[in-house]
Amino acid sequence: MSTVPAVALRGVTKRFGASVAVEPTDLDVADGEFFSILGPSGCGKTTIMRMIAGFESPTAGTISLDGRDVVGVPTRKRDLNMLFQSYALFPHLSVEDNVAFELRTLRVPRAELRDRVAAALDLVQLGEFRGRKPQELSGGQRQRVALARAVVGRPKVVLLDEPLGALDQRLRKDMQFELKRMQRELGITFIYVTHDQEEALTMSDRIAVMSRGRVLQVGSPTEIYDEPANRFVASFIGTCNLLDASAADGVARVEGVGVVPASPDTDGAVVVAVRPERIRLLPADAAQGIPGRVVEHAFLGDHWLAKVVVGAAVAPVQVQVPASVGADLLRGLEDGAEVRIDWSPADARVLPAEVAASAAQTQEVAA
Amino acid sequence: MRKVIGAAAIVMIAFLYVPIVAVIAYSFNASPVSYRWDGLTLDWYAELFQDEPLLATLRTSLLLGLVAGFIATVIGFLSAYALHRFPIRGKGVLLAAVAIPLVIPEIVIGVALLRTFSTVGMQNGLLTLVLGHIVIALPMATFVLLGAMRSLDPSVHEAAADLGAGVLGTFWRVTLPILRPALLAAFLLSFTTSFSNIVISTFTAGVGTTTLPIRIYSSVRTGLTPELNALGSLMVVLTLVVILVVGVGQMRRILAGSAP
Repeated sequence: MSTVPAVALRGVTKRFGASVAVEPTDLDVADGEFFSILGPSGCGKTTIMRMIAGFESPTAGTISLDGRDVVGVPTRKRDLNMLFQSYALFPHLSVEDNVAFELRTLRVPRAELRDRVAAALDLVQLGEFRGRKPQELSGGQRQRVALARAVVGRPKVVLLDEPLGALDQRLRKDMQFELKRMQRELGITFIYVTHDQEEALTMSDRIAVMSRGRVLQVGSPTEIYDEPANRFVASFIGTCNLLDASAADGVARVEGVGVVPASPDTDGAVVVAVRPERIRLLPADAAQGIPGRVVEHAFLGDHWLAKVVVGAAVAPVQVQVPASVGADLLRGLEDGAEVRIDWSPADARVLPAEVAASAAQTQEVAA
Repeated sequence: MRKVIGAAAIVMIAFLYVPIVAVIAYSFNASPVSYRWDGLTLDWYAELFQDEPLLATLRTSLLLGLVAGFIATVIGFLSAYALHRFPIRGKGVLLAAVAIPLVIPEIVIGVALLRTFSTVGMQNGLLTLVLGHIVIALPMATFVLLGAMRSLDPSVHEAAADLGAGVLGTFWRVTLPILRPALLAAFLLSFTTSFSNIVISTFTAGVGTTTLPIRIYSSVRTGLTPELNALGSLMVVLTLVVILVVGVGQMRRILAGSAP
């Protein structure tokens, strides 16, 4: 792996008329990385990808591919390929000819072309379908053809625009692992655009979370999940309980509840974020924990989910209890029962409150 | 209720096809009058192929249909491509302008053409016929092609660019092949429009460039001859052959006006 990033964005901005699609953005995607851009629809992620591909040009800023500035370079001269959401296969060409399209453009000698096309089709396990037309294939197969077509020219970077969106749930899960496997085998940098946090978490080496034209956080899936930088990231990735609190002297107080387990290092208004699976559900007579009342609970196979109201006017706290652990307490539980909830301060993130307001709005817009 | 609808459908189909079947049957009728059946004969076909003036009008109509159909398809393709691909100002007005010959009565177009040609001093002949037929075929060709282009996935062109093809390469290797069935459809429609047209031809044909429909229409005055039944039968067969060659599935798409 070279130290030059495969793709680097510096101050890249995109405006369409008066509206700003992408605020000035810096981004580095390392060589050979599986990098996801995650965000709700309309957050600018597709625009960023289309600028990298060369279908849109940035209003300001520079984009470099492998250290070379490519702003103004047409798409066909950029060493990258794209996997379109609609697959964009050529309907008049067979699977084989679709995959061979780029090699024919490059006038690759016939024998080499044949071998490379065969290798690409083997990679996606579609060798036996080489003579079929795209219309004769299932959605999942078309997707594989599109992938073979995108990697056959051995590009530096492959851009994937929500490629699994049109597939059914089951196929999507299979394809997630398959994409990851192929990316590793090929050693090609993948930039994957999606609004599906689960997809991004499953496949990515790193994720950039975007909202309203801005990259809010870049990090590994565990960083993004365990150490969200702000309220939007915390609530967009997985489920997260967000408690408005005021911090002083190293403790956080929630109105009507009192001191909650957290270790704030600032004073003032904060948000305490804690994941449902980090919260323990305790009997009402336990010695520690915050007293609350169960308003709803449900058995979801591998875990129980309970919604617990604590304090006066706060939204119920979601608590996720593994089935093996929660069985004793929850099996006989009635809604309305008194319980206690507790978590360790290390599992609570203290987030700044200002970003919280605008991010919460963003989320409403996205929803 | 179902029976009534079924019966109505049968009546409709009979109404559509009985005249055509009758023409074919009478083309083999030995009697020159249609109310009597005197047995089978091929005389009318023989007579048809010896009727040099009639064959001359057939040649004129075929040539006219091919030339006007081809030009209308080319112009229609270019207009549709421009209207579809480029952000043109006043697109709605242009589309309406393309559609206008479809809604203006042909007789008006015919008169207007005649006036225009005589004003600029053009003699009626093959050229005026071709120009007139392009006017009426163009809207159909344009709309068939525009429909096909609109039903195309726009990212196909981006994919071609992404895979290294330039503007020309994309056009030759992607746009044109994908639109081939629609181009064929546009041409066939234009050809048929031209071949069967009588009103525009009446105003734009000159001496020696009488078209087949004009010839047939004027022979009504002297009475329809059985050889016209033979000619009609041949055309029906020819049409069927075209449909079979093009393919029934393709034909359905053509008539539905969409891309493959």
